[in-house]
Amino acid sequence: MKFSILLKKELKEMLSPTTIITMLLMIIVLILAGKAMSKAVGEIQEDAKTITICDQDQTDFTKAMIDAIDKDENTEVKRVEIKSDDYSKELDDVDCKNVIIIPKGFTEQVAQHKTATVKFAQKMTSIATFSNVNQGSKNALTALEKGIKYTIYAQSNLDQATRDQLEQPIELEEYTVVSDKQDQIASSTVASLMSSQSMFIPIVMFLLIMYTSQMIMNAISTEKLDKTLETLLSSPVSRLSVISAKMISAAIVAALQAAAYMYGMNKMMDGITGGAASDQNVDALKKLGLSLSAGDYVLVGIQMFLTILIVLSISIVLGALAKDAKSAQTLQMPIMMLAMVPYFVTMFIDVKTASPIIKYVTMIIPFTHSFIANQNVMFGDYTTYFIGLAYQFVLLCVCMFLALRIFMSDRIFTLTLGGGKKKSGGLFAKKKPSYDEED
Amino acid sequence: MDVVLDVKGLSKQYKKGVYASEDVTFQVHKGEIFALIGPNGAGKTTTIRMISTLLKATEGDAVVDGHSILTEPEKVRECITYLPDEAGAYKTMRGIEYLRFMASIYAKQKSDIEEFVKRGSDICELGDRLNDKISNYSRGMQRRLLLARAIMSKPSLAILDEPTSGLDIINALEIRRIIKKLAADGMSFLLSSHNMLEIEYVSDRVGIISKGHLLEVGPSRELVAKYGVNNLEEVFEKVVTVH
Repeated sequence: MKFSILLKKELKEMLSPTTIITMLLMIIVLILAGKAMSKAVGEIQEDAKTITICDQDQTDFTKAMIDAIDKDENTEVKRVEIKSDDYSKELDDVDCKNVIIIPKGFTEQVAQHKTATVKFAQKMTSIATFSNVNQGSKNALTALEKGIKYTIYAQSNLDQATRDQLEQPIELEEYTVVSDKQDQIASSTVASLMSSQSMFIPIVMFLLIMYTSQMIMNAISTEKLDKTLETLLSSPVSRLSVISAKMISAAIVAALQAAAYMYGMNKMMDGITGGAASDQNVDALKKLGLSLSAGDYVLVGIQMFLTILIVLSISIVLGALAKDAKSAQTLQMPIMMLAMVPYFVTMFIDVKTASPIIKYVTMIIPFTHSFIANQNVMFGDYTTYFIGLAYQFVLLCVCMFLALRIFMSDRIFTLTLGGGKKKSGGLFAKKKPSYDEED
Repeated sequence: MDVVLDVKGLSKQYKKGVYASEDVTFQVHKGEIFALIGPNGAGKTTTIRMISTLLKATEGDAVVDGHSILTEPEKVRECITYLPDEAGAYKTMRGIEYLRFMASIYAKQKSDIEEFVKRGSDICELGDRLNDKISNYSRGMQRRLLLARAIMSKPSLAILDEPTSGLDIINALEIRRIIKKLAADGMSFLLSSHNMLEIEYVSDRVGIISKGHLLEVGPSRELVAKYGVNNLEEVFEKVVTVH
């Protein structure tokens, strides 16, 4: 009964209105960001329909080419006049972001079998990627290329079959093999789908580690500094109940935070990709075993939970070391560094095939194993998964033992890091302890 | 007279040869207010923390209501309440929530909870302010709430470290009155303070502690007479000088 009272109190403290509002705000911000990106993607697709062309050559050939592009139902050609090379002024005058310029002498270059030059001017209005993308213009350039090719084919009296062969001399049938499974899909497409689908896992993992750590450190250090811990530990409750209540509530709140972020990030990703993964591609991922089954989710979840428990154990020790609120924040740095290394490394390289130094240094960090858990499970590398799990478990036992030892002993009251007043013969003390300040 | 607290040769050694408290021996009887007095760093808080089962004694023992702090710390914690010096309360809670939370921890049965809360509310006299967040309390209000928490469950022994520190005269007087009244009703108190005039007024017996050693124990008046001085402060000066 007393444990449930403690758990309720801890949950109420950790799940404060500020935490809930922050969580909701974050979801709203991420959804809005997703919507904004979705809108930007929509605008790009809309922009792609309009192609701005300036035909300075004005020959029958160029006119025919432009008319051919204009005939396409999905394309609208806007013909403009560009009089000088001052594209900034000219683009302003014609009120366009970009323009394809077919310069004088273009037809002549084509007729002489020379590489014809086409100019393309794009106005950058910001550094945001989406605002500078114009797929329509690229399509128009492809259409121009096609037009030239067909003109040359016509002049060469080539038959249709040869023309088609020249147009597409080879057809690439790409297969991707994962472990013992294969499917007809380009590996680049698989990589692109995988990265868009799993890019938020390290972010969520990183946030989860930081939130969990911050919560338990605050819970311990605040209780210690306010001396509410002394009150609680001198009351008829066991120390194990006190520490368990703190750890379980921190884990619950961290899981809620993670779920909220994951939901928000998922919504944002939907906005970015526009739910782009086609059914065909999703099927291909399933065939390749690159989608997580319920059992896989359980395996990834177990490793995530072990990571949270390790974070909680380390944070209890660090929270007990805090002299004040400021030092509690500073003491979170080691956790942050340990989370950042695997976060960045796994984002850019495959740890398992990296150089031995990078590989082993990264693998020693217990959090790394959770960052790569989904990869291990997806690619059927259960050996690495279970070695990681065993390593995390051993480390958890060590950290838990250390945390409980501190919490169950006098050290919870006497231990501080640095030149604090209550420095004692604790774990990190080197100087002879002084008790002058203690009554 | 019933002995509520029996401290026998209690010592706390942090490192070899470094004692925060050494061979401390005294008793507290039922309904008695016993005060440990001494300057900062004398070993008062260490002794109190050992009796409260927060720190482990390296030598000696203390028995509270027949339970040893070494072998039955859980039983000891059921008999005592401890109010640390400059303690705070959970700032996110309202005063009444704090009393209810602590009452649920000390209550042996559900019906005790409301009884403890009622008593606590009466003792702290915070009225409607009990519904306010503790973060909005003044230091005096918070101390009264904490004192109410410490005595609402009617423990056999209430251990109060500097109970009136940082309080204005009116609040301090009120707290002293409450302690005296509860002692008259049979509750025992172990106080710690370096405010010797306050102790002289409120306590039945005092123990003078310095550099970890309990140097003298007795009623204030007897000690004043023994050393031929005017007040407890002068007794303390003489005791410390002699030892």
